[in-house]
Amino acid sequence: MLTKSLKIGIVCPYSWDTPGGVQNHIRDLAEFLIDSGHQVSVLAPVADDNSLPDYVVNAGKPISIPYNGAVARVLFGPVAFSRVRQWISNGDFDLLHLHEPAIPSISLLACWAADGPMVGTFHAAAKRQKIIFAIGPILEPAIEKLSSRIAVSEAARLTLTDHLDTDAVVIPNGIYATRYQKGSPQEKWQGNTIGFIGRYEEPRKGLGVLLEALPIIARFAPDVKVFVAGPGNPTEVIKNIDPQLRHRFEFLGKISEEDKANFMSSIAIYVAPNTGGESFGIILAEALAGSACVVASDIPAFEDLLGQGQFGSLFKSEDSTDLAKVVIDLLRDDTKRKELAEAGRSRGQSFDWQIVAQQIFSVYEMSIVGSQKVKLASDTRSWSRFLSKDDK
Amino acid sequence: MIINWALVAFTLLISLWYLSFLATRLDRLHHRVETSWANLDVLLQKRAAVALEIAHSDIADPASSLLLTGAAYQARDADIKNRSAAESGLSGALGLLLEDSQHLATAADSALLTELSALTDKIRVAIALHTDAVTRTQMVRSKFIVKFFRLAGTAPLPVTYEFESDVL
Repeated sequence: MLTKSLKIGIVCPYSWDTPGGVQNHIRDLAEFLIDSGHQVSVLAPVADDNSLPDYVVNAGKPISIPYNGAVARVLFGPVAFSRVRQWISNGDFDLLHLHEPAIPSISLLACWAADGPMVGTFHAAAKRQKIIFAIGPILEPAIEKLSSRIAVSEAARLTLTDHLDTDAVVIPNGIYATRYQKGSPQEKWQGNTIGFIGRYEEPRKGLGVLLEALPIIARFAPDVKVFVAGPGNPTEVIKNIDPQLRHRFEFLGKISEEDKANFMSSIAIYVAPNTGGESFGIILAEALAGSACVVASDIPAFEDLLGQGQFGSLFKSEDSTDLAKVVIDLLRDDTKRKELAEAGRSRGQSFDWQIVAQQIFSVYEMSIVGSQKVKLASDTRSWSRFLSKDDK
Repeated sequence: MIINWALVAFTLLISLWYLSFLATRLDRLHHRVETSWANLDVLLQKRAAVALEIAHSDIADPASSLLLTGAAYQARDADIKNRSAAESGLSGALGLLLEDSQHLATAADSALLTELSALTDKIRVAIALHTDAVTRTQMVRSKFIVKFFRLAGTAPLPVTYEFESDVL
């Protein structure tokens, strides 16, 4: 198991106080590593440094830039670069773990500045973009410095091989699967119920597809109810719902982790109608671990996570009729639903942090063979080595 | 005139910097090839040791014990050229044995088997890392500038280690 105690530096490219998949992943990983006796320091852009966990180091205020079709809160520039260098030289790390080193933020800066054992994790999945011809030659020498690369899903790995012509080990995102197993069914959410969790105002989360499918579902299952959880303002969404169906919807707002576990084990079907932009689908892993029966759109990340339909049903992405058909079939067939949920539950276990962290740690171990520590790259340039020899 | 000379000097400086940059990059890549190979080598040695232990345990019947011992020794003694063939042989021998021994293993033996499967997982990762390092190095070394200025020095061109990972 995790034997040797290491000093690990993790770099988060996105603003620490904005919620997001990468940030959650880093937080959980850092806490897991600290619990197993390692020293961890996380460098991240921070907008508001009240209530910052003590393992996070503030790298400066994030800048909002449009990136990949969304607004990314990242950080770069000369001041940030010198902060990164300072963090590296003060940290005396055995290993750096850089997240998303291919986007313009402090992970890339750290990759430039440091020399020594480095692991990079690639989260994003995107279609091949033309811009890579321009930025590829700049990125390549930096990405090359990573001792090993991790992709969080098959989709992310393909993105990496497409864009930067380099391979990666696939290690999924982790969840605390045991928490979800402990969820106790709540009566208020049971029955012919459909669940949805996410920032529903974003079109790519696909709540619209579910809204379109509901009239058809309601015809065959008149007592169906839909519970939508997640941050956002429901008034805009409610306006677009057919008035006759409005009472079938309930917006729960943001719910706690504990409620999420109860939610997943109560509802009949969890629906993930995302239309794209999803690389892993952590919420699906959580739904599976909480023994919900899952219906998801057939985007590559979800197909992969659900084992091509083995652990949950798939429907044609953005096709509300197909979604309605799949949901009705499952609502009518109790045994099939239970079977799927049962198959999904064991699948969900394989994303538990115990297993995932062990996989990540064995990549760490392989990267630190040779056992020098992380240094600033300029110290190891041949000419500065030459100069320092002169000094002696 | 002075501007012209300044321009020439500037270009020269930039090209020198670029050459130094390329050389550092290559140096780092060679280092990566070596460390990832060292990694893989250690793991393979460990696997051969575990294979021998399995051969001497109750899991293996006399015939497969013979086969496994032979394969393990071959893998340990093979020189770099025959290494991948020997390791693949060992993978094959282990695969044959494990296929039907899973259900009759005792507690002590199943500890051996778990150790082996943990090793196999690590070896898979180590192979991926090594192969990647080698292909990157080969790519950079095939650049014209690198060849022309002999930036790689006397370091031998790394070769891909042909490991049949599907046998693992």
